[in-house]
Amino acid sequence: MITDMFGSFAPMMPMVIMIIGALVMPALYFITKSRRLLPAASLVVIAASAIMTFLMLEAGYTGTYGSLFTFDAFSGLMLLLFQTVVFLAVLISGSSIETTRMHVGAYYSLLLGATTGMMFVATASDLIAIFVGVEVVSISSYALVAMKRNDPRAAEAAVKYVIIGGLSTALTVYGISLLYGVTGSTNLMDIGAALATAQFSWAFVIAMITMIAGYGFKIAAVPFHMWAPDVYEGAATPVSLFLATGSKKMGLVVFFKIFLILFVVAQTAFATAEIQYVFAIIAAITMTVGNVVAITQTNIKRMLAYSSIAQAGYIMIVLAVMNEYALTGGLFHMFTHVFMKGGAFIVVAALINVGLGERISDYKGLAKRAPLIAFAMMLFLFSLAGIPPLAGFTSKFVLFSAAIYDPATGVMSQWVWLAFIAILNSAISLYYYTKVVKTMYIDKPKDDAEKIQIPKTFMAAMVLCLVFVIVLGVYPQLILDLCANAAAAFF
Amino acid sequence: MFIEFSWLIPLIPLLCFVIIGFFGTKMHEGGGYLAIAGAAVSTLIAVLVSYEYWTSAAFASGVPYVASMEWFAFTSTTGSFVMNVGVYIDSLACMMMLFSSFISLLIFIYSVGYMSHEGNKKRRYYAEVSLFLSGMLGLVVSSNFLEMFIFWEIMGLCSYLLIGFWSFKHPEGDAASINAASAAKKAFLVTRLGDVSLMGGLFVLLYAFQSLDYTVLFDVNNIAAVDSNMIALAMLLVFGGVIGKSAQFPLHDWLPDAMAGPTTVSALIHAATMVKAGVYLTARAFPLFVQVEYVMLFVAVIGGVTAFIAATMALNNMNIKKVLAFSTLSQLGYMILGLGAGGYVMAIGIKHGDPALIAAGAAGYVAACLHMMNHAFFKALLFLGSGSVIHAVGTEDMRQMGGLAKHMPITSKTMLIGSLSIAGFPLLSGFWSKDLILESVMDAFTEPVGWVFVILWTLAVITALMTAFYMFRMWYMTFHGEEGHAAKHCHGESPRTMTLPLMILSVFAAASGLLILFGFGDTVCIGFDGTKFIVGNGHGHDAMYYLEHIFTNVYTYVTILLALLGIYVAYLMYNKKTLNPGRFNKEGQSFIYRLFANRWWFPEFYDQLSLKLGYGTACGVDFIDKQIIDGTVNGLSSSVVGGGEVLSRAQTGNLHSYAGVVVGGTIILAVIAVALFYFMGGI
Repeated sequence: MITDMFGSFAPMMPMVIMIIGALVMPALYFITKSRRLLPAASLVVIAASAIMTFLMLEAGYTGTYGSLFTFDAFSGLMLLLFQTVVFLAVLISGSSIETTRMHVGAYYSLLLGATTGMMFVATASDLIAIFVGVEVVSISSYALVAMKRNDPRAAEAAVKYVIIGGLSTALTVYGISLLYGVTGSTNLMDIGAALATAQFSWAFVIAMITMIAGYGFKIAAVPFHMWAPDVYEGAATPVSLFLATGSKKMGLVVFFKIFLILFVVAQTAFATAEIQYVFAIIAAITMTVGNVVAITQTNIKRMLAYSSIAQAGYIMIVLAVMNEYALTGGLFHMFTHVFMKGGAFIVVAALINVGLGERISDYKGLAKRAPLIAFAMMLFLFSLAGIPPLAGFTSKFVLFSAAIYDPATGVMSQWVWLAFIAILNSAISLYYYTKVVKTMYIDKPKDDAEKIQIPKTFMAAMVLCLVFVIVLGVYPQLILDLCANAAAAFF
Repeated sequence: MFIEFSWLIPLIPLLCFVIIGFFGTKMHEGGGYLAIAGAAVSTLIAVLVSYEYWTSAAFASGVPYVASMEWFAFTSTTGSFVMNVGVYIDSLACMMMLFSSFISLLIFIYSVGYMSHEGNKKRRYYAEVSLFLSGMLGLVVSSNFLEMFIFWEIMGLCSYLLIGFWSFKHPEGDAASINAASAAKKAFLVTRLGDVSLMGGLFVLLYAFQSLDYTVLFDVNNIAAVDSNMIALAMLLVFGGVIGKSAQFPLHDWLPDAMAGPTTVSALIHAATMVKAGVYLTARAFPLFVQVEYVMLFVAVIGGVTAFIAATMALNNMNIKKVLAFSTLSQLGYMILGLGAGGYVMAIGIKHGDPALIAAGAAGYVAACLHMMNHAFFKALLFLGSGSVIHAVGTEDMRQMGGLAKHMPITSKTMLIGSLSIAGFPLLSGFWSKDLILESVMDAFTEPVGWVFVILWTLAVITALMTAFYMFRMWYMTFHGEEGHAAKHCHGESPRTMTLPLMILSVFAAASGLLILFGFGDTVCIGFDGTKFIVGNGHGHDAMYYLEHIFTNVYTYVTILLALLGIYVAYLMYNKKTLNPGRFNKEGQSFIYRLFANRWWFPEFYDQLSLKLGYGTACGVDFIDKQIIDGTVNGLSSSVVGGGEVLSRAQTGNLHSYAGVVVGGTIILAVIAVALFYFMGGI
């Protein structure tokens, strides 16, 4: 088997490939001075890493590297998710005018480096590993946001991002150190074992609160969401795509790792019910604020940012329900979200490329000017709103039904109210998505409007997302089994 | 041998949608002939499948034909949910797919003439109507609620696209284009409101039964194992979906606005698809609905109120299509009323184990299904007829018509048949079904809270009078009297592709009700023998029962007289002109007149509600998000943490507030968590 070749390094191989890629990119640019070679080379690296991951996953491989990293069905699936995200981002970066004028060597190096950080988080089994992974991602993303030069919005966004990111890091370090103080370990399983016999202490509660707040920034949960619209708007669109679909998923993985392992897997004796409620409240507020504020947005990137906030709220249902079904649904929704939100950002990036603005009103009559792009955008938005038979509907259905009922116990879940808030929110969200569809299909284009042509790489990325949005809606089993395996491996 | 292929019925129009969508511009009539061929093949298969089912042993023993396979499952180590996809064929499904596909076929044929001036937009039109038909047929043959819901939503999406069809360039100018766009959005969003409720209902059902398959949900043993309050909750939520889709009070307001689409689309929505889906769902889920009698009471009240309110709105409207739209609302109200009243009686019968009551309740189900079919025929006829008129004179305003009978003899005569039928003229189809619905409401008089049904019956009888009046007001204003402004430019009778469907439909519109004398009541019925629900054979009543019931009841003659009175008053007012309508409404100034003309002020109410409440809330939250939280937290942060101050001096002022949120948010979180620990006894 392929993993035998690498000995004890085997669980780390997907990351190792990615790190080598990240280090080679600047040198490659220095030698060749070719702006076109780098995206292609990055794609090769990502593909190699993804194939490696897929082969390991298919073979049912599990292994640990020290006590820091574990490769299993869960982390393997998450690796694939992050690889998909960065694949899409790199694919469109190659021809996007927003990114081709940057320092390309550094740009691709940072993208791959940030992805490595996400992959560290996905495989981590220790708080220190999680912390380092998150910081690698954060620091790379600050630079990625700031790299869009000549745009004051990017500079402003980057400064905000750094300061707020720094604060959230401080909070998480505080939480981790408190937890270490209470339990005497940073290994998640050891912490769980220690907590199983521990007594209630306020230090533990404070540790939980600071960690929820600190990592709450990464997923832009309300009230820690302020930075997200500014950053997504200010950054180059491929970077926005990377942050909205990748970085946010990493935050969710952190939450799954810390809270699901501490409270469910390790069966902590106290505080579980309270923490579940905290998450339920945050989830309800996050989805509601995200959706309601999205209604008034006039900039499409800001609107998508708020819609991302709402989607994170849906996935946080997993943290309230805390069972295997919910995790299956949450993982499934994370995947479909990559394709539908990623697809929407790809369309936005493609249209910025041809000189169309970022305001929703710039999309007037798009259906006449670019029928295929408008059609794809319509499907992405309807999928986000949860219209069947698209992927967003199926994944929401699986996710929400977990909040209604747990077949393992056969009792109605106490989170039914949360599911109903989520369903109501889907209805609200339809309003602002429909507004964009109406602008594209019903409003008249300007008189001098011409047909729009977009680069082939954009078209390829868009069609890829479109295919998955339709296929995962009609044939969810394609990924659902992987999600169920991952969830089973987790618990 | 054919029934195994019933999944082809929705699939063929879907295939047509894909082909026309891609290659329509290269085809004759933008793919119109392919759409017709698709509908024809679907109709043919529907006929063969129905024939096979109705001659099969399954039908004879009252069980449906079911075939399904696993679609997706989400499993864990402890259990699993399995979602299936398949077909569920019983008498109700057969009836629905027969008339839906057949009427759609006629409407598609008619479209070739009606849409002939649309040029390269035909591709979009034929692609979308094919998808629409596919949605309806898929909904009808679905074997579980999730599958049904998917087709239900596809139809909602298509209606959005089709109602907004003329939003780019309406033949009547820019104002009408904007109107079409907003009507489409309204239809989509209002029905979605119902869909949210329906989806909630499905989740409750999924929880209660751990499955959404009809075979599981309609099994008496499974039903008995579930708490009846849970079923009541689920069915009320499901009925919320029906209220949205079938445009019942209080979500009825989208349907009249949906007239902004092409008339053929209106015909499709009103007669064969869309709004019938809600009634179908109520009939389909009847075994669950009848578990709790007050749910059925609620259904009946909604139906009765809708029938009455909508009919009043039609009394003084001047737009020919709007009058028909209100009449659809009103007739849908009748169907829901029939199902509700029958279901109420049946629910009580099941509760007390009384076979006589169960049979009496089943009669309401039969009546509503019959009315649904009859209405499909005469409403398709009336809409296509009005389309023919609009095509010829170029306006929808009845005041500009008049005297068209001599220019358009076929349209005029076929529409007369449709009007007589819907008005309940004796022995025409509308008469039978409407009368049976009224009978079933009367059956509920002697049950608990019978007074509600007395009121509903009275409303329904008054509605019958109003129906006869407004239909003939429409017919006389359009085809008789002086020629109006637009009538002088009439092009004459419409082409053969348009009049032929009219003539075919008029035969059905006149005679489809007679099916009640030829076994309809035995075929499309529901029975309950204590151990299982039986849809179909042997548990309905025969023709003599209905004949006797109808003609020995003195109230039947009352309704006949009222219908004739309505027609006569319309004749006096709008043809002979000896009775001036202005006398009754102070020349359009009376409160009642304005109430009806403004649709009871529902549209304004909803506009205000959505503007003030919906958009207002959104702006408010946005404001709070930007200003108040930031502002409060600013103060908080500077007093709590000096670091916030230092940061703000070092960076932009805006950043200060952002950093403040970090602190403020954490504090809020801490307060929530501590409160939870305190109240939940975690400490």
